[in-house]
Amino acid sequence: MDQDLELLERCLSGENSAWEGLLRVYTRKIYNLCYRFTGRVEEAEDLTQEVFIKVFQTLRSFDAAQGSFSTWLHRVARNHLVDHYRRTKKDRMTGSIEDDLEILEERPSPGAGPTGHLEARERQEQLQRALDRLSPDLREAVVLRDLNDLDYLEISQVLGVPQGTVKSRINRGRLELARVLKRMEGMRGPAEAGSEP
Amino acid sequence: MTHLEIENLASDYLEGLLEPTQQAAVEAHLAACAACRELLEDVRHAVDLCRAAEDAEPKPWLVSRIMQATVGERAPNWRERIAAYLRPVLQPRVAYPIAMTVFTFSIIVNAAGLNLRSLRFEDLNPRTWANRANRQGHMLAARAEKFYYDLRVVYEIESRLRRLGGQPQIQEEPSPQPAAPGGGSSQGAPADQTVASYGGAWVVVAAEREPAIAAAGNHTGFTRAGRSLIP
Repeated sequence: MDQDLELLERCLSGENSAWEGLLRVYTRKIYNLCYRFTGRVEEAEDLTQEVFIKVFQTLRSFDAAQGSFSTWLHRVARNHLVDHYRRTKKDRMTGSIEDDLEILEERPSPGAGPTGHLEARERQEQLQRALDRLSPDLREAVVLRDLNDLDYLEISQVLGVPQGTVKSRINRGRLELARVLKRMEGMRGPAEAGSEP
Repeated sequence: MTHLEIENLASDYLEGLLEPTQQAAVEAHLAACAACRELLEDVRHAVDLCRAAEDAEPKPWLVSRIMQATVGERAPNWRERIAAYLRPVLQPRVAYPIAMTVFTFSIIVNAAGLNLRSLRFEDLNPRTWANRANRQGHMLAARAEKFYYDLRVVYEIESRLRRLGGQPQIQEEPSPQPAAPGGGSSQGAPADQTVASYGGAWVVVAAEREPAIAAAGNHTGFTRAGRSLIP
């Protein structure tokens, strides 16, 4: 925390190396947030860059009395992601159960991979597809809590909602995620059964 | 406790955030309801899957790309700014003429005998420059002449020592020749005197021993020049 503030002060005094230090600390987290939100590598990279450009331009508006730099950064990123979601809503294809079936038919089953690495990768992709099925409100709550490991207070500051709302969204998001995962595994089961001789 | 209440308390139950009484009520319901047990297992599985998920690895150049997009190229420090300012001047086609100009100016200043630290008004007069340059030139010529004769002395000493060491018969050397009768002695004397005045005592000896060398010195013209230049 103190290190962030020190880097921030140096950055505000025009020291580029301090800004680079902040980037090296937080790029990975913000990129993961963007990736979990969009599910696309290129889009996540572009969004990460846009978030940090916005942060760089509004760096002086950060107030340490209102929370940590990490929380402020996540809030900026989350707002940008919401804006991006609204902006691209018309262009985005609404997924359907048929899409899931096509994806599952194209992919090998978890047990078919030659190594455990492929299985882990398969689980990651399955999780990402399940997260994509959640509504943005629920998805961001689950991602911030279970993937970015923020606590309830931090999430409430990032989202700008009371902690009770945060807890409710996280709970509903987890329930929805569990149902989507189960449905996807249920579709995989018959597909695997059908592929076996 | 109903199924809906179990759903609402699922996360708190899994994270151990329930009051003891609520915890007991949930467990009692789960013991009797297979559907809710399955639901909570599914939620636990989803949470475990999220927490076990590895971070997506950003591309290594993403930080550089963001740096480029935010602060752009690194701002140069004052040394780099000066170097950038002087870079056109430091091109060979410009640097060589500048160097030659400075070199020429330094030679002129040196030849004119100007002391730039204590410059006087008369130092700015071109006639003063010409006089000083003339004097410097003559002094330089005189020094070169003296150096030349000093070399002759060294040569003469070496040849004399060689002759003394190799031929003990010193009497055979043509030393008596300067004392030859007639106009020869009267013509050789001024040459010997001239050489002696610039070359020192050793030159006198050399001229006495080697009148041919002394005569050769006259032919160089240095003697005449030396007379008029050296006070």
